[in-house]
Amino acid sequence: MLVGRFQIMASIAAHKFAQCITCHAWSPDQTMVAFCPNNNEVHIYRLVEDKWEKVHVLQKHDQIISGIDWSARSNKIVTVSHDRNSYVWNQEEAEWVPTLVILRLNRAALCVQWSPKENKFAVGSGAKTVCICYYEQENNWWVSKLIRKRHNSSVTSVAWHPNNILLATTSTDGKCRVFSTFIKGVDSRDSGTSLASDMKFGEQIVQLDLCFSWAFGVKWSPSGNTLAYVGHNSMIYFVDDVGPSPSAQDVAFRDLPLRDVLFVSERMVIGVGFDCHPMVFTADERGIWCFSRFLDERKRAPSSSKYGSQFSEAFGKLYGQSKQGVRNDAIDPTKPGGGVHENCITCIVPLRKAGDGTVTRFSTSGLDGKVVIWDLESRADLSL
Amino acid sequence: MCLQNFPCQEVERHNKPEVELKTSPELLLNPVLICRNEAEKCLIETSINSLRISIKVKQADELENILTKKFLRFLSMRAEAFQVLRRKPVQGYDISFLITNYHCEDMQKNKLIDFIVQFMEDIDKEISELKMSVNTRGRLVATEFLKQFI
Repeated sequence: MLVGRFQIMASIAAHKFAQCITCHAWSPDQTMVAFCPNNNEVHIYRLVEDKWEKVHVLQKHDQIISGIDWSARSNKIVTVSHDRNSYVWNQEEAEWVPTLVILRLNRAALCVQWSPKENKFAVGSGAKTVCICYYEQENNWWVSKLIRKRHNSSVTSVAWHPNNILLATTSTDGKCRVFSTFIKGVDSRDSGTSLASDMKFGEQIVQLDLCFSWAFGVKWSPSGNTLAYVGHNSMIYFVDDVGPSPSAQDVAFRDLPLRDVLFVSERMVIGVGFDCHPMVFTADERGIWCFSRFLDERKRAPSSSKYGSQFSEAFGKLYGQSKQGVRNDAIDPTKPGGGVHENCITCIVPLRKAGDGTVTRFSTSGLDGKVVIWDLESRADLSL
Repeated sequence: MCLQNFPCQEVERHNKPEVELKTSPELLLNPVLICRNEAEKCLIETSINSLRISIKVKQADELENILTKKFLRFLSMRAEAFQVLRRKPVQGYDISFLITNYHCEDMQKNKLIDFIVQFMEDIDKEISELKMSVNTRGRLVATEFLKQFI
């Protein structure tokens, strides 16, 4: 039923920039894209007359870059890398000037995100800690405060609540946690909700222990009422009323696990991951979430025949019947034929229109080196 | 086979296959053991950034045992050419593959799986062929040798 209410959502642009992309981010006006081609550099491309042109290469890190975020208002790029360092890049005339951030980490940094007000950013790390970094005017550098202790394993993803105080994290110990990141002098008391404002820095508000495997890709809904994260056991979790008594829902799907999620609206989530096809999850009127469809048109009929053929093939192999000719034909359509991406999608980024905060376009990047822009064609979809 | 780049949690600035280190139990998944019988089995161990497939090939008699050992040693010596082949098999197995996230980044996953399945099929064939040729040769040599007594 629900499927009929969607307009066709299509990828409007796909470009292969590199062999492999670990993460990407868009400039505030969305004319430039910054990405890491699976090494220690950040490449910035600009779209000039329908052609992507390399305009900058940011070189400062000495290991693979695991996270990039480009702030929408202040036009700053923050990068984190496996070399334990983080840089904030500021554009001064034609050049990007790096400022080292003292993270005080002794393991790799894995993910980064600017807070909604862009006065702080959070870094998740392999040292089982989260760094909250803020700018110190008098010293003219970014300093970090660490949330220690709580995590039992690497922090794979961080997400800021719209109130600029709450931070959600996921970790490879399978838990999703919500912390208060109130920093005196940076945040004012009235900025947060009542829940957040009486919390001290680093205080854990809730720990969600729903997943039996590693947890990745946490996001808040635009209003901050719902939290979504994914587990490596092919499940996606939705949590309402984050606080003392949260209510959680889990949705299992039959495909490969997801890596990252994005809230398009309060009741629609896009998930991307190892399956190479973005998935759409929607909530109905009662707030019950379910898997709705694949974003790129993967036809249902061939997919079921595909599963069938794989099974018969496996049986064939078990009994030593050689079906060489048949096999190659049967396998090939599963990968490149189906969707735009040909390998695991690792990153999904919203493309916000200037002015309003609604998301109608977003981009995905993956290990196949492509950045794909998707468009929700009709605005009616957003009301869902 | 859902692997990702994952830096070491224990050692600074290192990035090692977790399935080999086994330092953080939370980063490992339950291993899968597929057995046809005691002599033929396949162990699949998975972690966040790597997986290891170990195979024990059927060895019905002494001759097959020797042939397998020699043949797989020959392959393991040339492990770089295969990329995913492990230089030394896991204890109790004849040959091991180690697939890391880097292999998944520059190779197609389904082709990798194909390769390993093909490899397993071929190894049985190869060994029975070797056995046949050893036997035929043995028989020929014996006939030639015994001819002089006629």
